[in-house]
Amino acid sequence: MARVAWFAVLMLVSFHAWAGKIEAHVVTPAGMPVEDAAVVLEPVVGTVIQEHTTAKIEQRDREFIPYVTVVQTGTAIEFPNRDPFKHHVYSFSQAKIFEIKLYAGKPARPVVFDKPGEVALGCNIHDWMEAYILVVNSSYFAKTNSKGVAHIIDVPSGRYRLRYWHPLQKSILAPHEIEIGDTLIRLEQRMDISPRIAKPKPPADAGTY
Amino acid sequence: MLIRSLQHRIAVLFVGLLVLVMALILVLVSRSNEHTIAAEMEQGLSTGAHVFTRLIEQNQRQLEITATVLSADFGFREAVATQDRPTIRSVLSNHGLRIGAQVMMVIDSGGRLIASVQPSGSAPDASPFPDMLAIAGAQGKSSDFKQLKDGRLYQIVLVPISAPKFIAWVAMGFPVDDRWARDLSEITGLSISVIHHDHDSIALLASSLDGSQRKAVPTGLLPLLRENTSEILSLDGEHYQIRQIPLGHEASVILQRSLEKAEAPFRAMQTALWTIVLGGIAMFVVGSIIFARRIARPVNHLAEVARRIQDGDYTHPIPRLPPDEIGQLALSFDHMREGIAAREDKILKLAYEDSLTGLPNRTFFLEAFERHPKNEPATIAIFNLERFGMINNALGHPIGDQLLHEVGVRLAHFTPGGALAARLWVDEFAFLLEGADETVVKSFAEALLDTMRAPILLEGQRLDVDGSLGIALYPKDGRDITTLMRRAELAMYSAKRRHAGFAFAADADSDPPHEQLSLLGEMRDALIRHEFVVYYQPKLNLISGKIVGAEALLRWQHPGRGLLAPQDFIPFAEKTGFIREITPWLLENVASQAERWRGDGLRLALSINISAIDLLNSDLVDQMRRLVTLRKVPAGGLYLEITESALMAEPELALAHLAELAALGFKLSIDDYGSGQASLAYLKTLPVHELKIDQTFIRSVINSPKDSAIVRSTIVLCHELGLSVVAEGAETLDILDWLRKNDCDLVQGYAIARPMPAGEIPVWIEAFERKGVA
Repeated sequence: MARVAWFAVLMLVSFHAWAGKIEAHVVTPAGMPVEDAAVVLEPVVGTVIQEHTTAKIEQRDREFIPYVTVVQTGTAIEFPNRDPFKHHVYSFSQAKIFEIKLYAGKPARPVVFDKPGEVALGCNIHDWMEAYILVVNSSYFAKTNSKGVAHIIDVPSGRYRLRYWHPLQKSILAPHEIEIGDTLIRLEQRMDISPRIAKPKPPADAGTY
Repeated sequence: MLIRSLQHRIAVLFVGLLVLVMALILVLVSRSNEHTIAAEMEQGLSTGAHVFTRLIEQNQRQLEITATVLSADFGFREAVATQDRPTIRSVLSNHGLRIGAQVMMVIDSGGRLIASVQPSGSAPDASPFPDMLAIAGAQGKSSDFKQLKDGRLYQIVLVPISAPKFIAWVAMGFPVDDRWARDLSEITGLSISVIHHDHDSIALLASSLDGSQRKAVPTGLLPLLRENTSEILSLDGEHYQIRQIPLGHEASVILQRSLEKAEAPFRAMQTALWTIVLGGIAMFVVGSIIFARRIARPVNHLAEVARRIQDGDYTHPIPRLPPDEIGQLALSFDHMREGIAAREDKILKLAYEDSLTGLPNRTFFLEAFERHPKNEPATIAIFNLERFGMINNALGHPIGDQLLHEVGVRLAHFTPGGALAARLWVDEFAFLLEGADETVVKSFAEALLDTMRAPILLEGQRLDVDGSLGIALYPKDGRDITTLMRRAELAMYSAKRRHAGFAFAADADSDPPHEQLSLLGEMRDALIRHEFVVYYQPKLNLISGKIVGAEALLRWQHPGRGLLAPQDFIPFAEKTGFIREITPWLLENVASQAERWRGDGLRLALSINISAIDLLNSDLVDQMRRLVTLRKVPAGGLYLEITESALMAEPELALAHLAELAALGFKLSIDDYGSGQASLAYLKTLPVHELKIDQTFIRSVINSPKDSAIVRSTIVLCHELGLSVVAEGAETLDILDWLRKNDCDLVQGYAIARPMPAGEIPVWIEAFERKGVA
């Protein structure tokens, strides 16, 4: 393990000068853009520097924002509650099982996601609230915008394992390795996802009825 | 069947109409009920099925919601998400208890059973409900009815467990048992049975029925489901219309609607209706019988009275009835009864009573004899007044009637011991006496004649009445009334002839031939019916060559035997004395004929034959006297022809009468001269004007010298005595010539003319005188 980390540091240092970037287009088999797809580059050799340390998933208007969050392993994520009422955030995912029992405002401590994997977030008192966290051992990742496009920049040259992920993906796409140079690599990935079905959500002024 | 009684007809008609109407109503109501029941059944089943389906859906939704809520339980989710099996099981049993689910399962996304809570006896399946999982995978949830290994049916709801992403399925099973069926049965109003059905067996999984009906469900249903008919399911005597609804993929629900329950209110109504109908008919039967009786009883009573009236009993009055139509009828009927009774009295009087004498008449007499017991002897006596015709003619009809009346009164009083007196006709009376003892009858006859001989005073005139009585005994002299009366009549004539007062039939004549007895009756009828006619045979005066007279000859236009000549019945009329009836008629007839002819300018001397009985009858003289006074006929224009034998019976009386007649101016003629024993010397003493030589002599004047000598000398002798001579039976012209040469005065016979009806005489005479004798 120590040797791997060492290699990683070495790699990053050695290829830092030749930083590359990729532009990934994720589309459905029908050619429609796929939003919120995570595009992750994991170095094949060497270790990954912990670059990102915090992230934030807000609860606003009884929704998790954002829907998909990609974080590097060890990131502490805050769950600030912007709603005038409480939420009860939980996860039973193997990567991180936790719950923040009914709270308002900012919880006392952020939650540290120390294991790679996907985490499904829910609110115990608002069933429709749903968010996903992808915890990866890399700092090179992005997620697609509404046009299905994601950019990863400043990727040191080297060999990487390219992984696509989406919370509603129908199948796990096998990662494959690519060589990152100093040129822009354009990627196009087809991904079959289930449509996001909004769970029934009562109107905002639900308190009036 | 013909109902004759009015009462029954009325009752049958009314009741029949009512029954008809009621039957129509019943048919209508029962048909309408049937339709209503059928519609009700159909609607009940449809509604029930609809409600049932909705209930199942609601139930399912409810269970789904319940399951969903449960699946969202944080602790449960946590246990599942963390794959903590002991906790999962614990949570399942706890939550199953919460919601009343007996089966709880958690199944992973791969379809493998993670944990389950099930009733004992139901071993868990490693990969349960793959079909439901497939549906749930597509639709998010799924529910079905499943038969588990314990053999029971469960309603299974499969919902996902999300944390918040789908992590596993939870299946919850709720038992479909009898309670479930009963609950639904109460809401739907139908009986509910849940079955598992494959081709040749039915397993009953749950039912709202119980007892024997429940047991009968599988066997009852099997044939219906196999043949897929909509027949009626019969369970232990109760009938159900059924509808099959699938319950999930493995079971079916049989909704059953009880026919009996649906029909019950209609049955009650029908029972009530039948009660009303039968009660109504019964009341109507009684009512119409009473009504019909009230109508028919007086009618029957009237009919009874009418029957009595028919039998001649007018004595029963009709009781007063209510003043309705029938009462009016009864009243009129009673008046009619009285009227008929009164009229019948009168008619009977007219029919059976002689109005002049007040005695019973001939009809009554005949009927009285018919009523007489056949085995008891009786006596019939006929009484005839002497000289009644003379009295009648001499003193006039009023006196004659008074005389008869008086005789009637006497006879009415003279009816010893059950004797019946009746007036047969003009002057003839009859008696019917009980018994046939000759001595008794003889004393009766003598007493009667004594009574009658007592003089009668009429309008100051003293009349001596006498009569003759003829007696016939029953059954000795005859068995029927006709014979008895004829014989009594003959006996009466015999007594009259012999002036014996009375005579018994047995003594009067040796039994006259039966046909003669009937002839007597026929002659009587002939007189009444005008069957006697008078023919005239012209008499030629040989000197003047003119027809100067004619002989009146009686003919009987007999209805059966044709035209009868006098010799066919006159001898019998003389023998029986009936000639006494005929001669007056003949005299009357001829006199009126002479009068008519004289009126027409035809002067003919008409000759009439008078029998011995007539001659001895003093009535003859009276009648002749009356004739000349009433008719415009001179007495000299009528010749009375008398036979020699007539003169010989009672010469003194005959002579006396002849003298009277001659004194009245009538011409007298001796008929059939030469056939009897009369001598001319004797004739000389008589007041005779003419002599008719018997035709036996005349017919042979040509051939027999003896006869011609007799005729010739007779003519001479008569002329000497001042008598004119008539030759009878001149059949040929030779005879006519001979008679003319021998100075015969008058002649009649076929040589001149046969007898002819009076109507032909004037024409014949005219023709004869135009051409003369050939």
